[in-house]
Amino acid sequence: MKKIFEVARWEFVEKIKTKTFIISLILTPAILILFSIAPTLLSEQEVDNTKVFGIVDTSGLYIKEMQEELSRYTIKGNQPNYLLVNLTSKEKSYADLKKSADRDVLNGKIEGYLLIENAETDSVSVSYRSKSLGNMKDISRFESAFNEVRIKLKLDKENVNPYLLDYISQSVQINPIRIEESGKETANDFILTFFSSFVFIMLLMMMILYSGGMLIRSLVEEKSNRLIEILISSCTPNELLTGKILGLSTLGLFQIFIWIVIGLSLTGTSVVPIEVFKNIFPILIYFILGFVFYTSLFVGIGSVVTSEQEAQQITTYLSFLLVLPIIFVLPAVETPDALYIKILSYIPLTLPSFMMLRLNISPIPEWEILSTIVIMLISIYLMINISAKIFRIGILSYGKRPSLKELIQWLKE
Amino acid sequence: MLIVENLRKEYKNLVAVDNISFKVEEGRIFGILGPNGAGKTTTIRTVLNIIKPDSGKISFNGKPITNKFFNTMGYLPEERGLYKKSKVIDVILYFAGLKQMPRKKALLEAKSWLEKLEIGQYYDKKVEELSKGNQQKIQFIISVIHNPALLILDEPFTGFDPISQNLIKEMILSFVTSGKIIILSTHQMETAERLCSDILLINEGKEVYKGTLNNLKRNFGINTVKIEFEGDGGFISSLPVVKNVDRYSNYAEVHLNDDVNPSDFLKMIVNKIDIKNFSVLEPTLNKIFIDVIKQSKK
Repeated sequence: MKKIFEVARWEFVEKIKTKTFIISLILTPAILILFSIAPTLLSEQEVDNTKVFGIVDTSGLYIKEMQEELSRYTIKGNQPNYLLVNLTSKEKSYADLKKSADRDVLNGKIEGYLLIENAETDSVSVSYRSKSLGNMKDISRFESAFNEVRIKLKLDKENVNPYLLDYISQSVQINPIRIEESGKETANDFILTFFSSFVFIMLLMMMILYSGGMLIRSLVEEKSNRLIEILISSCTPNELLTGKILGLSTLGLFQIFIWIVIGLSLTGTSVVPIEVFKNIFPILIYFILGFVFYTSLFVGIGSVVTSEQEAQQITTYLSFLLVLPIIFVLPAVETPDALYIKILSYIPLTLPSFMMLRLNISPIPEWEILSTIVIMLISIYLMINISAKIFRIGILSYGKRPSLKELIQWLKE
Repeated sequence: MLIVENLRKEYKNLVAVDNISFKVEEGRIFGILGPNGAGKTTTIRTVLNIIKPDSGKISFNGKPITNKFFNTMGYLPEERGLYKKSKVIDVILYFAGLKQMPRKKALLEAKSWLEKLEIGQYYDKKVEELSKGNQQKIQFIISVIHNPALLILDEPFTGFDPISQNLIKEMILSFVTSGKIIILSTHQMETAERLCSDILLINEGKEVYKGTLNNLKRNFGINTVKIEFEGDGGFISSLPVVKNVDRYSNYAEVHLNDDVNPSDFLKMIVNKIDIKNFSVLEPTLNKIFIDVIKQSKK
């Protein structure tokens, strides 16, 4: 036991002192914070001057109404957000109008213009023409403004009561509310769900990659300079392996602890919404279990690889498994009960990240939480045993990487 | 006393160690010699309890070697390396800790060893800042800091300059006086000759020779002497004890008949020429290996 702690302490103290660790400790949350605030910062920044657009409508039906509709949007200092210039003139033909408007766009006089065709018929069509494909936000505002005007014109034409007109143009949004248990409900926001699961899955992935890589590198180093022989003439391979896993897990926990402290200090601000910490306890459990599981897996792998390049390759492949849930965030939010999501949340390799994801999407019955935790604990136990067997022989065989057949042979010994 | 009996270790399609037995007493240095792949490392690893032999017994002071002996054994592997990014003192204390030395005691011992090996000033430096020779001294300290009763040294002198070699040699000899059991594995005949009282020569996992080094040389040596002299050395080639002579103006290599003692030969020539230097040429280990292996195949 004492030797296990000796190894664990060494792994912990030596790694915590490295520059890369200190950098990753600070850099990881910094990157995540940057990701979460950058979009807000950028979108706020763009609106400080009025944008000039054009409109070409040979029927003249929509011009005034559109200008009115768009004047609702204002920016700082009550300045209008959009200035819609009428480019239509009676003297020019449709083709000429298009040509000159295009020229205005290319010369930079206007950002773009709306070209309305077949305005007098029911099959009216609108195109937005500009140098770039345009700002999604602007275009969607144009679109809703245009549709409102279109309905208004039609109803006007049919002599409908103006009160009804207002009623029709209003739309009602559906608020998603998540029921967790009777009497407890929360408004759910896709972005927040995505963000809070995403943060933890990303953190888990980064930590596993980082410390797994570190573990493999140190094993390859110990193997190549034969330090491993001194080590295992001082303690058993099992003690060494357990010590390494313990040391690195402690290091990982320390890292999470620091990140949580950073996170808590920013909670409630726009950077870290409070929702992130909603399911913090079960999430932390899955996080730790996932970390220990992968660390024990990496010990087994690390004792078999013979060079750093090989180690790099394997860590890269494994990282794909970890990012997998990120691909599934969208379908999982839509159908959290899908079979494949359930299956993936019972396979030890993907279990921790999928459970972290599911926790934030829909309430998970207690038995499922308990059974996945038990599965994880058993997997960790088995993984450590398998790794230990590979480790015992792997660390002493130099040169050629063992084949799968040899590995199985080792496991039987 | 360390007793190894009928040790055998087989890998998939190779018998690495085949029925090896030897004994090492306290205060003696036992040399294991052999070409690459002879089974030296496997033998050492089984003694260290790193790997389990397929059959055979290893006992230390009457008890079979188990994990309990970890703290009484010291090992210096042939290939050297340390944690390059860590501080010298931290590395030493880590390995001392693994041998369950109390930290305070380990710190004192580490400092005194660093002084003894004349590298006290590197105490607080990172390992990578030290020269290769000094890094090897650190590794030597790691293998002996916990005062092991059984010390296994694999090529302890390679990579050291002559001054450091001497320093290390003195340390090893001091362990002999303090009654440690020392096993030394080497290619270098010179090292073995200077230190080992008994040797075991192995090839392809099998024992080829076991006994004292002098005996080995007498058995497999080529019995050649080198003389530097003044005067006419022409008569030497006509002496009956001489097989053949490689003669230069005032220097000759004389190959004697197998049963002739070099000192008898010296007596025969000492009055006839003025001898400046007389030495018995050591057969190289390589040569002995070739001879021995040839002989063992017959």
